[in-house]
Amino acid sequence: MNFTILTKELKKGISLTEKITGRNLTLPILDNVLIEVLPNFLKISSTDLELGIQWWGLCKTEKEGKIAIPAKLFNQVVNAIPEEKVTIKEKSNTLLIEAKNYKTQIKGMPADDFPIIPTFSKDLFVEINAGKLKEGLMSVVNIASVSQIRPEISGIYFSFEKETVKLVATDSFRLAEKVLSFGSKGGYKNTFKEPIAFILPQKAAKELINILTDEDKDIKIYLSESQVLFETYLNGMEHQEINLISRQVEGEYPSYQEIIPKEAKTKITVNKDDFSKQIKTAGIFGGRTNEVILKIEPKEKEIEIYSQDSEMGESTLNLLSKIEGNDLKISFNWKFVLEGLDNMKASEVTFEMQGNDGPAVIKPIGDPSYLYVIMPIKI
Amino acid sequence: MEVEQLWQSVLSQIQLSISPANFATWFANTKISSIDKDCVTVSVSNSFSKEWLEQKYHKEIIKILREIDPNIKTINYIVNVVKSNKKSSSNRKQGDREDGSSEQLGFAELDINKETNLNPKYTFENFIIGPFNEMAYAGAMAIVEEPGKNYNPLFIYGGVGLGKTHLMQAVGNKIKEKFPEKIIKYIPAEKLISTIVNAIRNHNIEDLKKTLRELDVLIVDDIQFLAGKDKTQEEFFHTFNSLYQKNKQIILSSDRHPNNIPAITERLKSRFEGGMIADINMPDYETRLAILKQKLEEKGYDFDKDVLDFVANNIQKNIRELESAVNRLIIFKKTNNKNPTIEDAKKLLKNIIAAPSKITNFKKIIESITAFFDIPSGNMFYSSRKKEFSKPRQIAMFLLKKELKLSYSEIGRKFGGKDHTTVIHACQLVEKLWDEDEKTHQEIELILQRIYSN
Repeated sequence: MNFTILTKELKKGISLTEKITGRNLTLPILDNVLIEVLPNFLKISSTDLELGIQWWGLCKTEKEGKIAIPAKLFNQVVNAIPEEKVTIKEKSNTLLIEAKNYKTQIKGMPADDFPIIPTFSKDLFVEINAGKLKEGLMSVVNIASVSQIRPEISGIYFSFEKETVKLVATDSFRLAEKVLSFGSKGGYKNTFKEPIAFILPQKAAKELINILTDEDKDIKIYLSESQVLFETYLNGMEHQEINLISRQVEGEYPSYQEIIPKEAKTKITVNKDDFSKQIKTAGIFGGRTNEVILKIEPKEKEIEIYSQDSEMGESTLNLLSKIEGNDLKISFNWKFVLEGLDNMKASEVTFEMQGNDGPAVIKPIGDPSYLYVIMPIKI
Repeated sequence: MEVEQLWQSVLSQIQLSISPANFATWFANTKISSIDKDCVTVSVSNSFSKEWLEQKYHKEIIKILREIDPNIKTINYIVNVVKSNKKSSSNRKQGDREDGSSEQLGFAELDINKETNLNPKYTFENFIIGPFNEMAYAGAMAIVEEPGKNYNPLFIYGGVGLGKTHLMQAVGNKIKEKFPEKIIKYIPAEKLISTIVNAIRNHNIEDLKKTLRELDVLIVDDIQFLAGKDKTQEEFFHTFNSLYQKNKQIILSSDRHPNNIPAITERLKSRFEGGMIADINMPDYETRLAILKQKLEEKGYDFDKDVLDFVANNIQKNIRELESAVNRLIIFKKTNNKNPTIEDAKKLLKNIIAAPSKITNFKKIIESITAFFDIPSGNMFYSSRKKEFSKPRQIAMFLLKKELKLSYSEIGRKFGGKDHTTVIHACQLVEKLWDEDEKTHQEIELILQRIYSN
């Protein structure tokens, strides 16, 4: 192996792939990244056997070859290289990194021991605008259940329909749905005959957000029976840049549509930023249970946000609001409310409630693509 | 040689030639899933293992297999994910929620099994049997033993909050546990109606028919909602027949006896009566006490006997109210950190026990009656001599007298200026039927329940 590459490129490649490697006691090879030198391209791969990332970058290839190198170490070394270009060679499982005033050797492992990252049939795919997907994903990704007790809801649900893409996450206490609509402008192409859907583990979704750029590029999504592949392309080239391969979460996503209430018994309309601020302030006295109480009376022009903690004290805040429907006293985990509001961009939101033991919905006004359903705390 | 032994011998030989870590990573949860002539299919737990086995160990595996069976030519690798045990997970989840001191509510829909629509929280273990529901319970148990053989259909009827849904879902859950291969579906009648309406609109009614007719156990809750929905009744009738002929179990529930469900076709009615009809009544005092104790035990609390006595004595008609009383007592205990005394209990349960539920008005009574008999509430009801109107009208007069203590002449005026003697006659007539005719008695009980529910 012998190649020369821009240090900037190399840094990008290793920092992207290094993240998912960790200390793996049973299989030490997983602490490594696989470095492959191909004609004109350097390829760096890493995997934790659930998730795999492959990165390609342009390089000047003198001689092809491959080696597995400890990821953390390589990352540290590469980040310390001051020079613009670097030449890398391999000799009997040792990586030699050379620049003008700089020489390092890193001990590696044979590339043959590195796990083989699954390949995909590429006949059928979904092509989608990366920026839009990233934005949508960011608004739901943190809602998924952290616990693995119910695997189906520990991931993000992707549903690709004819002209829309739905992203859904829930942890059984709240649920967020983002609908990406694509009109005639394009930005979405689905070559599958039927609508397709899968559940992506939360960790993979977070990595996906990392690799997606805000630029106006498209990415392709391929499926195999238990895996999914996200593929981005190098700027201005037909060549792939990053592949993210993840397992799909087994199981069927709950029929979440049934959770979303169709109408409201009590509805308030408030300024989003003011509401966030008041909820956060009330949260100071939310105590261990994070509980804040909303008191809503239709004849008033304000709602009351009340919280109390037997040891710390209590707070009563008012918030200007348009109120429709029945009287209501309802209690929420303020963190849940805030997380939902944080994902909305509109200046005003509606909060629709079904009494103090039914699901409530927060919707940003003027943006029908997002909704956030939240269950109250029992009073 | 057995398939398992064949794979075991592969594993035992491979183990010698690779490191334990590699062996544990790549060969965990692998097995031979089938052998078809000269082709062996090996199932592995994830795609990485599949690639690895295919590319790194294939030669070795096939060599070992051929030593044992020279006929083997090819190996297929497939990914077969090992599913975690669902049941234990849902139980653990409930535990989690109760440990937390806050009563954060979750989406109930997520607990429901998507395939069967059953909620795992309804089981026989937490179903309490008393004289009031013995018969329905016995019927249910017979069905669990041999679904489709005894009592088909089982028709359970009784008032709100007495455990019909619990019993039916428990049957479903138990059958699923005993006969995992059986296809079970629980559908509330309202859902059935909307599904059928949607199917008609989307022109895929045939698909729906097919899925319904492939069921082994069909459970329909609150069947009285089919009243007046002719098309749904027709579809349901055909589904019913087709399942019944194939000895598939059908379980139905309603808030009243099939005879008392208005606007439902005779042929359906007679089919409902073809199996076993079991009623669930109000629980007696002892059962109420047992239910209270069980609910407290489930939640890990215990209160004084006289407090429980007080609750059991005062909440008589609805198990759901018992549950809400239990919740109130528990919240009291949590916030004040002491067990409620009988005085506290009286205060806490004032709302449930004392009279607000006994307050009603003219409008409510009339609405409940017209809804119950499924008749239009307009003037027809006030003036027509047809029997379908006259009987409800007489019952309305009787209830207005009994519940609102209106004077006879006032009631007469409300019904379009009828003479007070007409009203007296009506009241006496219904009074007599109330005492003598079981069917009328039951109808009036149910109407009363409707008036005072919510």
